[in-house]
Amino acid sequence: MNENTKTLIFVAIMCVVVAALLAGLRGVTYETAIENEKIFNQRAILLALGDNLPTPVDALSDEEVQNIFQEQMKSSVAVDVEGEVIGDINPLEIRLDEERKKDLSERKFPLFVYENSGEKFYIISMRGNGLWDEIWGNMALESDVATVAGVSFDHAGETPGLGAEIKDNKNWVNQFSGRSVLSDYNGKYTGVIVRKGGAKDKKYEVDGLSGATVTADGVTDMIQQYMSYYEPTLQKLKADGKLGMK
Amino acid sequence: MAETLETKKTAAEPLFGKKERKLIVDPLNDNNPITVQVLGICSALAVTSLLYPSIVISIAVVFVCAFANVITSLLRNNIPKSVRLIVQLVVIATLVTVVELVLKAFSYPVYKNLSVYIGLIITNCIVMGRLEAFAMANKPWRSFIDGIGNGLGYGAILIIVAFFRELFGKGTLFAGTPIAMNIIGPDSPAVDYWLNTNAEWLSWYSNNNIAVLPAAAMFIIGILIWVQRSYNQKLVDVS
Amino acid sequence: MELFNIFIKSAFIDNLVLSYFLGMCSYLAVSKSVKTAFGLGMAVIFVLGITMPINWLINEFLLKDTGIFGTDLTFLRFILFIAVIASMVQLVEMVVEKVSPALYNALGIFLPLITVNCAILGGSLFMVSREYTFGESVSFGLGGGFGWFLAIIAIAAIREKIRYSDVPPALRGLGMAFILTGLMGIAFMSLMGIDPGSY
Repeated sequence: MNENTKTLIFVAIMCVVVAALLAGLRGVTYETAIENEKIFNQRAILLALGDNLPTPVDALSDEEVQNIFQEQMKSSVAVDVEGEVIGDINPLEIRLDEERKKDLSERKFPLFVYENSGEKFYIISMRGNGLWDEIWGNMALESDVATVAGVSFDHAGETPGLGAEIKDNKNWVNQFSGRSVLSDYNGKYTGVIVRKGGAKDKKYEVDGLSGATVTADGVTDMIQQYMSYYEPTLQKLKADGKLGMK
Repeated sequence: MAETLETKKTAAEPLFGKKERKLIVDPLNDNNPITVQVLGICSALAVTSLLYPSIVISIAVVFVCAFANVITSLLRNNIPKSVRLIVQLVVIATLVTVVELVLKAFSYPVYKNLSVYIGLIITNCIVMGRLEAFAMANKPWRSFIDGIGNGLGYGAILIIVAFFRELFGKGTLFAGTPIAMNIIGPDSPAVDYWLNTNAEWLSWYSNNNIAVLPAAAMFIIGILIWVQRSYNQKLVDVS
Repeated sequence: MELFNIFIKSAFIDNLVLSYFLGMCSYLAVSKSVKTAFGLGMAVIFVLGITMPINWLINEFLLKDTGIFGTDLTFLRFILFIAVIASMVQLVEMVVEKVSPALYNALGIFLPLITVNCAILGGSLFMVSREYTFGESVSFGLGGGFGWFLAIIAIAAIREKIRYSDVPPALRGLGMAFILTGLMGIAFMSLMGIDPGSY
């Protein structure tokens, strides 16, 4: 057997073994992983509410999290880019990473509504690009549909200690609370800007993250983009608190 | 730099003899992966702005390095030379992906914590550097020890660098863990607790943003090399 | 014109070495002399320039759920990208070994280690996250490689000069290279965020 045949056989065996191992393992673990991811995302949505939740998210069990979604968040809906409600869709089933690939007019966006003893919060979800991979997050708005009640961000692969601070640095995340996403100048939803070198206008800006300019810019872009998508919805909510049915 | 140990076929070779000890101790100083072999610099710059991620990645590299070494060493006589790089990388990447998939199904929070390190581990030249320099020419047990030794040598530098960067960059230590503490800066209650005195004398410090940047790691590693070579004259560059 | 801007930006502004600190190991280890640095720099340009379009095609037509397999295979991204890179590096290694044995010996272990040069895998991941088109990915690959090449030539030239300076003995060589790169990185930070395509 000459050298080349040996090489080819080796590579062929290696490919088959590795492909079978990985594909098999993924097949076996896929369902559980999806289930894990779902509950993790639900926690992330509640995390955006911050202190407005009676008990902190970390202290809630998986069942309690699902109870909140069934009872206090039952008026959550899916909306389109015109601000119309799309019926018969559970907003929790919407995967923004798949929606991002569709045409804008066909996309669905989740709008979670949290009600607790008279207080009402609207939570929107967004997704964008960081330095290495995708970033995503949820933003809770107070009942005036302008003031940010809190945010939670997450990422697929930002550098720990630098870009990953958008998730891990609680002080930075807490800055968003109390900022306004509605511009006084033109009455449009412009979002909150992450300003490198420190916030200048404390109403609309938060401090940047040193060493993570690209990720921080990614957060700004993501918020601005999704503000434009949610603009019709939020304007309607602000006007009379109601959304039209499609 | 690539030490080649003669593999003598003596019947009564001890499981953990002098040579094995050398394999663990050498990478800590005389043959440190970062300061002497110049391997694994990128991840040493990227994650060392905080202590906790540095410790996590050090442990992960010890594991991946040891097991990738063993697998490659077992295959070493069958790997054709013309595709050896691809084989080595497939070994590393498969190992890491398998761990990722298993964690994703059985321990999702741990997966979320570790997933961001995956790219940093696969492209960590220490792992492949040791495969190429050691595991391709040595027996599995020795390769295993070599992997652990080099992982530890790498981790030692990472933790020293991260200690200084986090302390001067953020004024904290172990941020992001339950034992997080503020050491210096405006809110430094930890000092109060330890010395049982008023901590105001440390509150003048304001965080240095340069220390958070990767450039600071370059300076700190540069200084570490300076210190190390002052004590260890045989490492001094004579050229 | 857009393609040219991407080239300029990836070579001079978002320099992989000096702005993102990627591909450091070989950059520091092989920059003792301009001659070897030149050889490694050329190898990196070649590998980056050729793996970027190949990885773009793989990502677009094999991994995405719009590709020929019709399912989402992005969990294989790392393995496939790195396999492409490894095979290109293997090719370069064979060529260098045949054409210039002297360079082959001078580069030592750092020639195969181009495979795990994070600048190269990093470049491919940037390409995915920035959603480049095919043409843009070629331009980005060549620009990034050229930037890496310039950076290693620059540090090698400085290190050749500094050999005649009175540096403390323990800091000579590698120690000084670390500190110099840190300084160059800080200088490059001021360029970050400049977009040659706009005013």
